[in-house]
Amino acid sequence: MPAQILQGTLDLMILRTLSTMGPQHAYGIANRLQQISDDSLNLNQGTIYPALIRLEQYGWTRGAWSRTENNREAKYYTITKAGLKALEEETARWRQMSAVVEKLLTEEK
Amino acid sequence: MALLRRILIRFGNLFRKDRAEAELAREVEAHLVLIADDFERRGMSPEEARVAAKRAYGGVEQAKQAHRDERSLLWMEHSLQDLRHAGRALAHSPGFTLVAIATIALGVGVNTTLFTAYNAVALKPLPIADADKVVRLRRTLTSGFIGENQYAFSYPEYANLRDQQHAFQSVVAASWPVKVLVAAPGESSSNQLIPAQAQLVSGNYFGALGINASLGRVFGSDEDRVGNPVVVLSYAYWQRQFRGDPQVLGSIVRIRNTSFTIIGVTPQEFTGTSLNPQVPDLWAPVSMQGQLVPGQDWLHKPTDFELQILAHLDPGIGLKQAQAQTDSLVRQFTTTYVTKDRTLAVALERTAFFGNTNDPRFRAGVGAVMVIFILVLLVACANVTNMLVARGAARQKEISVRLALGASRARVIRHLLTESMLLALAGGVAGLALAAAAGKLLWIALDQILVRQLGSDFVLSLNLNPDTRVLTYALGLSVATGLIFGLSPALQFTKPDLNTSLKDESTSFGRGMDRSRLRGLLICGQVAVSMLLLSSAGLLIRGLARSQAADPGFDTQGIYLLRANFGDEPVRAAAEFHRLTDWLKTAPEVANVSYGTAPMMGTWTPPIFVKRPGAVEGSIEGRTLAGYASDNFLNTMGITLLRGRNFTAHETSTGAHVAVVCASTARLYWPNEDPLGKHFQLDLHFDGKRTDFEIIGIVKDVRFANLTRVDPARVYLAADPTQLYPVFFNLRGDQQTSIAGLWTRLRGFNNDIAASVSMWNVETMLLAPQRTLARALAMLAAILALLALSLAGIGIYGVMAYVVSQRTREIGVRIALGATAGRVLQRIAMEGLRPVLIGLIIGLAGGAGLSLLLHRTLAFPGSIDFLYGVSFYDPLTFLGITVFLTVVSLMASLGPALKAIRVNPVIALRYE
Repeated sequence: MPAQILQGTLDLMILRTLSTMGPQHAYGIANRLQQISDDSLNLNQGTIYPALIRLEQYGWTRGAWSRTENNREAKYYTITKAGLKALEEETARWRQMSAVVEKLLTEEK
Repeated sequence: MALLRRILIRFGNLFRKDRAEAELAREVEAHLVLIADDFERRGMSPEEARVAAKRAYGGVEQAKQAHRDERSLLWMEHSLQDLRHAGRALAHSPGFTLVAIATIALGVGVNTTLFTAYNAVALKPLPIADADKVVRLRRTLTSGFIGENQYAFSYPEYANLRDQQHAFQSVVAASWPVKVLVAAPGESSSNQLIPAQAQLVSGNYFGALGINASLGRVFGSDEDRVGNPVVVLSYAYWQRQFRGDPQVLGSIVRIRNTSFTIIGVTPQEFTGTSLNPQVPDLWAPVSMQGQLVPGQDWLHKPTDFELQILAHLDPGIGLKQAQAQTDSLVRQFTTTYVTKDRTLAVALERTAFFGNTNDPRFRAGVGAVMVIFILVLLVACANVTNMLVARGAARQKEISVRLALGASRARVIRHLLTESMLLALAGGVAGLALAAAAGKLLWIALDQILVRQLGSDFVLSLNLNPDTRVLTYALGLSVATGLIFGLSPALQFTKPDLNTSLKDESTSFGRGMDRSRLRGLLICGQVAVSMLLLSSAGLLIRGLARSQAADPGFDTQGIYLLRANFGDEPVRAAAEFHRLTDWLKTAPEVANVSYGTAPMMGTWTPPIFVKRPGAVEGSIEGRTLAGYASDNFLNTMGITLLRGRNFTAHETSTGAHVAVVCASTARLYWPNEDPLGKHFQLDLHFDGKRTDFEIIGIVKDVRFANLTRVDPARVYLAADPTQLYPVFFNLRGDQQTSIAGLWTRLRGFNNDIAASVSMWNVETMLLAPQRTLARALAMLAAILALLALSLAGIGIYGVMAYVVSQRTREIGVRIALGATAGRVLQRIAMEGLRPVLIGLIIGLAGGAGLSLLLHRTLAFPGSIDFLYGVSFYDPLTFLGITVFLTVVSLMASLGPALKAIRVNPVIALRYE
């Protein structure tokens, strides 16, 4: 069964995608996430829209209309300086959190 | 930062909705195209690819909605939607909207007017800098006396506190207004004396309160060390007496025999810090007391309580700490120097326009009035609720459709409440405007009454302009109103009951039991409140009629009351007093001269003990009104002697223990015997010591304690020659010329005394205010009652009309089945009247309870009877009001009921 996206992690994943792959449109981001997860994420592509608008409103990404290689129009999202900083913080927090959860789960056995 | 940025953007998006929507649609479309391209590349036909893209994308509309939720402040967007919708809905039915707004405006308006007045006297701070840091000293006395005395301190007490304390930045003292006669500059003739109110203040008074002069300067903090004849004028006095002439600085005014230099004028906003709302005309340093109030020595006598003390708190010190320090300092001082009526405690009190507003009795009074006003507002609310219920019934289908289509109940309730709130706020604004207008009228009325009573030199310093506190109150009241009248209909109409209301059957037989019960309850409450208000108003108005005609039992038109200041030294003062009364007897303008206890100016009710005939020990005990009288007192006042004899000059000059009693006292204590020659005892000083008096005469009954009722018991005692009393006299010839002549003659007799003399006509000074009060009370009650009544009338009419319109079909069926018009009419009318009758009974019981409560307060002989002796179960009032209300209710329900019997059964039945 495909996994649900954990509450609050979508923002982190999008930021990370943008920082490694450079400017991307929503479809690109969704593709990338699906690819990374080996299709084990249950991701309707529309689901990432709220996260995209949220990140843009925080000032962590900036959106601009542009053309794809196939000359289709698409809105490309770029990570900003503030976004990079937020990514760093969120990553640290995620690592800390997952370590705690991991440790707890190991001990439980 | 990021969060704030986001909130701002979301807020901004409320108003950029269309652009954001277009952008979103474009993005989603582009997204779908990209997916479809990919699918096509994998070999699907364009058609297949587009369908597959949509599948891969998930729900497009859900995604868009999720986007919207994130993008903007959803609840706010909804509120704006609701607001627009409500505005349209209300504009759509202007009749309903106008009536509802007017109803709320009336309710909120009367309440806000009352609050404006309360705010002005009790909540507004003094017109000084740092008003919240300035406190007033109030003490509790062993005698338990409540009133202005609690705020009076002596100069030595003040000086002691000022020099010893460490809790205040400064401590200032100010006297009560002192009446003086001022000879204006330039006018040499001493005949041109103009009365003015002077206030003696400590040198630091203005400086510590942060009052700067608008012209010239105020006192320096050490200008009260010695003498120093300077005065500061109030702005109003400067305008009135000197026409705002700036040249007045440095000129001399003569007060008594001293020349004072005018050194400054206070700003217009400064209206004094006195306990009473009166602006002093001029201020002088307290060191000039000897010149302004000769014969007294405030500065050195620790028992001469003449000053109010204000203190400016030190920023570092809390109120509690300051209070503890003040308390111990003042009490230490008084235990050493004051023997009579010791100080139990000293409290620091917030300064407000009226000093006594912390008095629990004042608060209770205000509370009672507020309850009555709130009742009117509730009646108004009930009306609007009823209108909303009727309106909501018509909209039931719309609401059901919305609910059926998936709108949440909370959302629909919010939508309905938005409409109520809009109504309430519009009503509140209108009410505020109403209150502002009423406040102006009130001010004019108050000013006129006071000027007429107290003379044109009285300047009222009450500020009735609405301030933020009044605005907040009106706003809060409107919101509460909106909730009260809006909530219950909103809850009812959203009750899940889709089945019936979606069909065209919303009004069939027996439907909506709870709804009609709600309406019945509302009507019942409205009628009860109206009944209560009407019966109170009815009693007050009957009282009013009596008050205008009330005969005090003694002559008031021609009687003048004279009071003067004879100085501090008792023996000399008594001699001066008798010299003046003896001189008055020789004045050709004066017919009769006497002195004694003044009527209508406070009461003295010592315990009385009367030996029962035959009983050795037992005696009847009670309280009686008592007063002193000189030998000519009863004659001058026109209190007719019924039996026995009057006091002799010998008795009043020796203070003999003889008494004249009034007829009611005689009936009360000696019902079946002749009181002449009998004895009774009085505990004159409330200390358990009884003094025996012999009855020498009986006079007719009077209204002496107050105009509202005949004194239930009164005794006149022979005047004590060592005491001073108000002087009463009447005039020969034309009163106007005689009194003017007397004034001139008085100045020739003794200019010092003349300056301190006040002469009043007893009728205009003591009786007219009471009659005015009765008129004002009755008018107020009548206005409120009429308001409540018309609101209730409209309410009853509205509900009846609604019920009939909803039951048209039922009535049609009945008529078709053979019911006569009379029977239908009877049935409809009876049903409409049931809640009215229940309301009547409740209101009647409430009115009777109120009467009983008022009646209880009359047990004490000195207390005031606001109803002027109208009996408390006055059948005429109660019966009249009941009939009146029933007729009004019948009229209100008759119109709709008549319409009902004209229903054409064929048309009515076609619906079924």
